[in-house]
Amino acid sequence: MAKRVLCKFFAHGACLKGEHCEFSHDWKDPPNNICTYYQKGVCSYGSRCRYEHVKPSRPESSASSSSMVSLPPTAESSVGVTTVPGVLPELSALSRPYLPPNNPAWNLESGDSGHDDSLEDSDFGELRDLKPADRPICSFAAAGAGNCPRGGKCPHVHGELCPTCGKHCLHPFRPEEREEHIKTCEKKQKHLESLRRSQEIECSVCLDRVLSKPTAAERKFGLLSECDHPFCISCIRNWRNSSATSGVDVNTALRTCPICRKLSYFVIPSVIWYYTPEEKMEIVDSYKGKLRSIDCKHFNFGNGNCPFGTSCFYKHMVKPGSYMWKYHRPPPRRPTARRSNFVDMDSFLDAFEHLIRDDEPDMFDVDFDTDNDHAYRDGRLEEVVLRHLGAEDGDTVIAKDIRLSDFLSNMNIR
Amino acid sequence: MIDFSRVQKELQECSRDMEASGIKVTPVSDNLVNLSGTIPGPIGTPYEGGIFKIDITLPDGYPFEPPKMHFVTKVWHPNVSSQSGAICLDILKDQWSPALTLKTALLSVQALLSAPEPDDPQDAVVAQQYLRDYQTFLGTARYWTETFAKTSSLGVEEKVQKLVEMGFPEALVRSSLEAVGGDENLALEKLCSG
Repeated sequence: MAKRVLCKFFAHGACLKGEHCEFSHDWKDPPNNICTYYQKGVCSYGSRCRYEHVKPSRPESSASSSSMVSLPPTAESSVGVTTVPGVLPELSALSRPYLPPNNPAWNLESGDSGHDDSLEDSDFGELRDLKPADRPICSFAAAGAGNCPRGGKCPHVHGELCPTCGKHCLHPFRPEEREEHIKTCEKKQKHLESLRRSQEIECSVCLDRVLSKPTAAERKFGLLSECDHPFCISCIRNWRNSSATSGVDVNTALRTCPICRKLSYFVIPSVIWYYTPEEKMEIVDSYKGKLRSIDCKHFNFGNGNCPFGTSCFYKHMVKPGSYMWKYHRPPPRRPTARRSNFVDMDSFLDAFEHLIRDDEPDMFDVDFDTDNDHAYRDGRLEEVVLRHLGAEDGDTVIAKDIRLSDFLSNMNIR
Repeated sequence: MIDFSRVQKELQECSRDMEASGIKVTPVSDNLVNLSGTIPGPIGTPYEGGIFKIDITLPDGYPFEPPKMHFVTKVWHPNVSSQSGAICLDILKDQWSPALTLKTALLSVQALLSAPEPDDPQDAVVAQQYLRDYQTFLGTARYWTETFAKTSSLGVEEKVQKLVEMGFPEALVRSSLEAVGGDENLALEKLCSG
């Protein structure tokens, strides 16, 4: 009975409690769509409220299931609002007197009548009987500085202080959950800290602060593998991709750091700047890790010849029946159609094949210097930039056209 | 597309420490594509005391392409064309970097004045003179600096005024000044000798 109402966090795909959640994670269960503010007096959203405005039908309710409200017919039988553990009494106290509309619901003091207290006791009596580990954590104590309006009478477990986020949200009797929270909390804190420190850093090319650029795609650093000079990703990519028409030397200028002229073979996008070699290593490794999960379009499952060979950052998966699988060597490298001065049938076909291949999503975006024209043959820089999507937590997600369900299940956003 | 916000920033930065560097960049037109820079001749060189004007044109790809620079003031230097003012400097060509700015590029040009590279010349005649007859080179360079890089210190009328006050007739002063290309010292010499 504890899992009758659909968890609203789960409904949005973001319930962090998982199995421990006291609400239902079953889509068949109805959501609690009743506006509690309206029931208690006034909802400031009025007719624009996205919750249902249903008047409580107090007099009919009995003491034990105190507040069966007139729910829509489908939900009526299964939803007993106050019997659901975890619904805060303040929000579910439907038995409270109907207040005049000039008194907003959030001004209500909790526990303002004896009637309420007795009700809460009976409602949460069963909660108190649960083992401490099974009792949910009190969100009032967690959100505020540890002061729950219900004090000692609170049927929920009051969490212990998390030293990182300063909230009382550590469940005293669930060690795994505690550990999990502390871990994610510290990670988040570290990320925020480095994000804060990264604010001041300017790109040496556009002379702007990287994290103050107008669009989200631009608010990203481009790390060079061999030195520690900061640039924004668009500037450094622009520079490395700028054509030879400007007369700038490719190997002694274009592929080097604009400041120290150290040759770097690739650029790593990152939302944060680093302060220690370990931090840089972490960023580089996570970027490479992401690329390794994507199939190399040049290698083409063993049917193509990747110009980067074994040093390619992308996945080289040999499919049974492919050229590589049969002959244990990559197929001969085709001459690029642009370079050849004569046209034979093979290169003619190759040229077409190249066109067809380029219609596929172009995943290639690491600037190796070995084969400039291969990676940027069509000069689609924007597309390359767009394929680096920022996750909410600032991680770089490299988009790939797969089905949404696969995408959700594979995505590894922390 | 030129990154104008960067150009704007560069100009501000440049005017901020103009006192220290002596390098000045001013826009010629409103569009910030054509600019004009001036650098003082480095001390201890035949260019000392001169103010050299450089014309700057920003290409479409700036700052990913180098700015186009050439001397407007005539300079006698192995790496600067004595005819066109074209500058032979690697950072303005294949060694350009987007981290360089107009100011740093002009500083490099200034450094080029004090350290000529006669083995990679822009003007073969000057380079040959530099290698074979260094003293003559110094004299010519100094003379060109005096003649072309210092004229703007006083206005023509002021020079005329000054020479007239010394007791020369105004018409003669004007013709002498014109004959020596505006240099008051040369004009005085001419007036005294003639």
